Amino acid sequence: MTQFFIETSWLVPLYGLIGAIASLPWAVGLVRRTGPRPAVYINMLLTVVALVHGLLILQGIWGNGNQILVLHWLQVADLDLQLSLDISILNLGALELVTGLSLLAQFYALGYMEKDWALARFFALMGFFEAAMSGVVLSESLFLSYSLLEMLTLSTYLLVGFWYAQPLVVTAARDAFLTKRVGDVLLLMGVVSLAALAGSLDFDSLDSWVKTADLRPAFANFLGLCLVAGPLGKCAQFPLHLWLDEAMEGPSPASILRNSVVVTCGAYVLIKLQPVIVISPIALDVLIAIGAVTAVGASLVALAQVDIKRTFSYSTSAYLGLVFIAVGTEWPGVALMLLFTHAIAKALLFMSVGGVILTANDQDITNLGGLWSRMPATTLAYLVGGAGLVGLLPLGGFWGLRLGLDFLWDEQPILVAVFLVVNLLTVVNLVRVYRQVFLGEAQPRTRRAPEVAWPMAVPMVFLSVFTLLLPLLMDQMRLIPTWEYVNPPAVVMLVVSGIAGLAIGMAIPLQKSLSRSIQRPLRLLQDLLAYDFYTDRLYRVTVVSAVDTIAQFTSWFDRFVVDGLVNLVGLASLFSGESLKYSISGQSQGYIFTIVLGVSLLGVLMTWSMW
Amino acid sequence: MTTTQSPQTSTHPLEDFVDRLLQGEALLPDNPDNLVEVVGILHSYGVVLDAYAINLVYMAEHQFLVLFPFFKYFNGEITPAKLLRHWWHDRINYEYAEYCMRTMLWHTAGGGLEAYLDTDDFRQHCETAIQAKVKSNPLIGGLHRLFPDFLPEQVRMLAYTSALGQFWRVMSDLFMDLSRRYDEGEIDSIPAVVEHIKAGLVSAAATPITYSVKIGAETYDILPASANLTFLVDVALPYVECIFLRGTPFLGVVSYNAQAQQIPGTQSGFTYGALFADPLPTGGAGIPPTLLMQDMRHFVPDYLHRFYQKAPRGEDDIRVQICQSFQKSMYCVTTATILGLMPHAADTSDSAEQAANREHLIAWLDRLMGSRLPVVQLPSQPIT
Amino acid sequence: MLSELILIPAAGAIALMLWPGKLGPKMARDISVVCLSLTLVWTLVVVAQFDPQAGGLQFQEALPWVDTIGLTYRLGVDGLSLPLVVINALLTLVAVYSSGPEMRRPRLYFVMMLVLNGAVAGAFLAQNLLLFFIFYELELIPLYLLIAIWGGARRAYAATKFLIYTALSGVLILAAFIALVWFGGSTSFNYDPTLAAMLPPLQQLLLLGALVVGFGIKVPLFPFHTWLPDAHVEASTPVSVLLAGVLLKLGTYGLVRFGLQLFPDAWQVVAPWLATWAVVSVLYGSCAAIAQQDMKKMVAYSSIGHMGYVLLAAAAATPISILGVVFQMVSHGLISGLLFLLVGVVYKKTGTRDIRVLRGLLNPERGLPLIGSLMVLGGMASAGIPGMVGFISEFLVFRGSFVSFPTQTLVSMIGSGLTTVYFLLLVNRVFFGRLAITTPSQRPEPDICLPSVTWSERLPAIALAVVIVALGLQPNWMSRWSEETSIALQLPQPTAIAQTTVSASVSATVPATAQATGQTTAAATVLALKAPALD
Repeated sequence: MTQFFIETSWLVPLYGLIGAIASLPWAVGLVRRTGPRPAVYINMLLTVVALVHGLLILQGIWGNGNQILVLHWLQVADLDLQLSLDISILNLGALELVTGLSLLAQFYALGYMEKDWALARFFALMGFFEAAMSGVVLSESLFLSYSLLEMLTLSTYLLVGFWYAQPLVVTAARDAFLTKRVGDVLLLMGVVSLAALAGSLDFDSLDSWVKTADLRPAFANFLGLCLVAGPLGKCAQFPLHLWLDEAMEGPSPASILRNSVVVTCGAYVLIKLQPVIVISPIALDVLIAIGAVTAVGASLVALAQVDIKRTFSYSTSAYLGLVFIAVGTEWPGVALMLLFTHAIAKALLFMSVGGVILTANDQDITNLGGLWSRMPATTLAYLVGGAGLVGLLPLGGFWGLRLGLDFLWDEQPILVAVFLVVNLLTVVNLVRVYRQVFLGEAQPRTRRAPEVAWPMAVPMVFLSVFTLLLPLLMDQMRLIPTWEYVNPPAVVMLVVSGIAGLAIGMAIPLQKSLSRSIQRPLRLLQDLLAYDFYTDRLYRVTVVSAVDTIAQFTSWFDRFVVDGLVNLVGLASLFSGESLKYSISGQSQGYIFTIVLGVSLLGVLMTWSMW
Repeated sequence: MTTTQSPQTSTHPLEDFVDRLLQGEALLPDNPDNLVEVVGILHSYGVVLDAYAINLVYMAEHQFLVLFPFFKYFNGEITPAKLLRHWWHDRINYEYAEYCMRTMLWHTAGGGLEAYLDTDDFRQHCETAIQAKVKSNPLIGGLHRLFPDFLPEQVRMLAYTSALGQFWRVMSDLFMDLSRRYDEGEIDSIPAVVEHIKAGLVSAAATPITYSVKIGAETYDILPASANLTFLVDVALPYVECIFLRGTPFLGVVSYNAQAQQIPGTQSGFTYGALFADPLPTGGAGIPPTLLMQDMRHFVPDYLHRFYQKAPRGEDDIRVQICQSFQKSMYCVTTATILGLMPHAADTSDSAEQAANREHLIAWLDRLMGSRLPVVQLPSQPIT
Repeated sequence: MLSELILIPAAGAIALMLWPGKLGPKMARDISVVCLSLTLVWTLVVVAQFDPQAGGLQFQEALPWVDTIGLTYRLGVDGLSLPLVVINALLTLVAVYSSGPEMRRPRLYFVMMLVLNGAVAGAFLAQNLLLFFIFYELELIPLYLLIAIWGGARRAYAATKFLIYTALSGVLILAAFIALVWFGGSTSFNYDPTLAAMLPPLQQLLLLGALVVGFGIKVPLFPFHTWLPDAHVEASTPVSVLLAGVLLKLGTYGLVRFGLQLFPDAWQVVAPWLATWAVVSVLYGSCAAIAQQDMKKMVAYSSIGHMGYVLLAAAAATPISILGVVFQMVSHGLISGLLFLLVGVVYKKTGTRDIRVLRGLLNPERGLPLIGSLMVLGGMASAGIPGMVGFISEFLVFRGSFVSFPTQTLVSMIGSGLTTVYFLLLVNRVFFGRLAITTPSQRPEPDICLPSVTWSERLPAIALAVVIVALGLQPNWMSRWSEETSIALQLPQPTAIAQTTVSASVSATVPATAQATGQTTAAATVLALKAPALD
């Protein structure tokens, strides 16, 4: 029986897809007289099935080692494109994370989106989203991973674009797709190169190929950077990070997944690719550099945000920056632990944020205040989520950060500092937002703030409890070291950075409007951070305007040079316009004349050649 | 990345409407199509409001502080057939009623009910009821001690739930009565519709609004009669303010992005209500009134149905058509409210009274700047 | 077996012409649909009987015709032409089905559609150079008339331009054919891969050059492409579907059949230039598409870009890239067909194709939500998103070409990114936002209401979308017919990439596989025939 579950594990990613397809009658409006909720239930049911199936597989392979499932998708000539799945405990753990959070997010959406008549489309997209993510974590083939990352790009586009009639959604969806697509096209270059050079695209064979491969350094660097580029976009790292900010225009339940497991999927592929990336001498250093810049930069930007969703989306970029550092320094264990703990804590945080938004009808933290005593579940979720995110003993985030510090301690003091700074700034930000939103006096928009309904509260409470119990689970999985392996100075530094963050967060003055500092230097800095280092403007004056100029020039060139020249020189000028007017006037004689002329010309040509 | 809305102009192009209102005309032009649309849609609205009102009152009285109200839309009647229909989503979308209730609660737009919820009198009544409830449920008791405002805030919400239910009870009967009179041939023009609604509102004006809940064997007052809350000034006018004028920005068309600042800073500046909303996106994602339009489509009377079928798309876009008709009918209700509140008789010859009337009308029309008033002057169906 | 593919539409055309009495558009369309359905069924019969294990020509038919000039009626089909024949049958059916009920001169219109179908099928099947040429020219006449009579405002200009360009293309091709036979000392124009083998290299290069330019006009390749956007903009929707979906493929088919297969040595010499040319075409078409404001023009320019991939893959001429050629031709046929259909519906309902004024067409009640959703799908398919046939086609093209021309391949991938840019611009501008088909004005206006889309308008688009997704998920359904032919058509690979060991091993394995499979199949004959020329 267990073997049956393992052999059918290819079904797991398909459940979400089946749900998405089953929702179509409601989503495209074939069912009009009754509501879209059956589609919701179908999708949730299939997510439960995926979750349970995953658990059964996990039980089946526990202690038996991993199994590889290979599907020969396309075999032509010397090309063999395989869709292989690696059924390992690690991958299944990630799968459970994906399906579990997806289920919670869908449950949450049941409440958050209850007034939305396009529920069926939303849940279909969530199913599609989940299918792609489940596939990514199980995939053992770069080809499959690439394909699924592209599907993830597409479903992100469609989910961000869910409220397609809203003007900012239109640009947000576009930018999300395009920035991710930049990474994807570069990744495709890497995939195609690897496919041609290494033959097989399975991660295993790629790993062994790398050991013997002998590439020109320039090409090797190009290849390595291409492979980095895909996850770079997915994980919202500098300079492809802008989309995550804009993607916050999308519905909150999707934001829960986007900030937790979607970015995780990108990083997961990166971790699997890391043995291949070493082919390039500089790619790992680039990873570290990008990670460090993003981690510190995004943490600072988060501090200057007044939008409650955006401030935490930047924090997501910052944490993924730490993951990039971990991968770049070849400590995949650190990366995985950070991803795992971050995903859970960030999902919880975003659930809380969604509750606040729904109750207050506002995302501007300067308009909020005094929610704590009226919204227990939301407050609890915020506190637990925040605590699980940062280095607070004994919750999950602490162990992830501690592991990173331990490994980097001796050789990379600068990166240790980055970890500590991110922890500190994250604490500052969490405290700042908590004071603004939950403490203080009620503002007009929070004067009447009843707690959210149970479909939203239940996932929040459940995940809060799970986050609190996570250390026990990690202990079971032997992810928490015994005391003799703990590096006391590192732990002390981590705790001190957290306390410092708390103190700063308590001390900084709060804004109660969108006020800007009156001191000019401070104001400039505030604006710089609030507008994300003006990245969007930077894009606009560089890439966007370059593409636009080239396109306009090409179009102009086409119309006036190519076409103009042809029209001028070519026979077209002889016949065009006036001279053929007669034959187009509707007289069939004209056409027949033209045809006869043409055919006889041909005849002459043919016979002439035979003379 | 960020854009801001252009501020509204302060010139007064709605001057014409003042004269029209003074002459006893409505904000909506009087023509046969409009009459069919308004009466027909108020009929189906009456049916839907009836269901909403029953459910709101049921929830307030029988789902008092129930943390997991799984069956709150069942009105106490749970049968397998009803459960299946519920899951198949073949039901009234009561979510919309709750949405209106929460919009009213959130806007804190004045009126006696709003003020009463902040009084010590209310807190005492509330605390008594909560203590009674806590006795049977220690979990809630624990929560109440840790988060002292959690349950009172829920009770405030329930108070609004009950009040809105009572308000809609009256309105539903009023609209059904209108429909009956139309069928009997007594209503033949838009001003007659307005007159009917105005008379109904005036006669119900002093109806008391009270709310009490039964816990165990005892009955506990939440909104006691001694609070002196009445239909018109304490519920109806705040309702008009919150639902007709202010509303909440729909996620499907307005960005909540704090930096974009698309939403006005103060709630009194909101213009997302029923008189302002754009019917075109109805049926799409993130447009809550779609739920109401969907509910109403099941109860559209035949004459209105035939009218809709004449439209270029027939029944394909019926929810948008219903929304257009609904908006027109709401302008009639607004006219009735404006005229009903006019300080003096419309045909007064006293110049001071005339000036007061004018001032009153101008103040209302100021609120309607930027609304769909100019558009509802046009016919719903394009002349093709 | 194959003649029927020409005869059925021809019979239909004759029946329509001779139909007694007045023939209404609906009746004429129904007759044509029946006739083309028969053709499609017959095509599928051919597919069912086709032996995928054989690389060479199948179902050959030969009848003497004008022996004195070497013209014989010879037909045959292999893995290169078979998918194109299917696409031709499918898309003509779709085009005829979606031809509007009210039109001028329906009889002539549908006759022309049927003649077009037969002529294109003939061109794909012809195994005699002159016969090919006759069909190639024959197809011009109906197409010219279809644009010139049922086109838009500037149809005269567009149709004439089209005619002159394509006539020029025909002249070049004919000249090359005649010279080939003349210099080769053959007495017959029958197709034979060894025709050019004995010619001196310079002559081969010259002839190939003439053919490449000739077919390049048809493809079209930069800078011979300007007839295409004009023709598309003026042509009616069904004609656009056929033009993009089928007729452009004649150019790429000709390049492979008469360029690569007849002149393998010369091809190898010019291949790097062709690959670079392909890249220029890809990037040029994509960049020009970004700047377009007419939806149809945008799709037309995207065709130029996407046909560039075919040239790239043909230039590389590895088994995978030739399979990529077939895939890309089919996938472009399906996808551009779908896109033109959808643009046609938008135009019909809104009266404009200007992306500066169209907004929010996804509106569920009053817009074109299903058309919009299919547009998203089509745009994504075109941009090469996995799960649709565009992805696997591009992947095969890139993967196959990378071995020979790594730089050109990598650069042309940018085109894939640019495709996303313009289709995203199109979808986001036209389909997202608040519904509008004119620029907003200050005066109050009644809420806009577009006419409904009927199921008969949706059906062809849905059918194409289903095929696009099905082939994207199961490329085996297509690759099995063309695999052996692709192997038979390949060129030996130069080691282009500096990384010596690996690519050497790649190119070493390629002929080995080919020979191993070739021994038992007809591909061996082709290989054997070609072998002396290669060495």
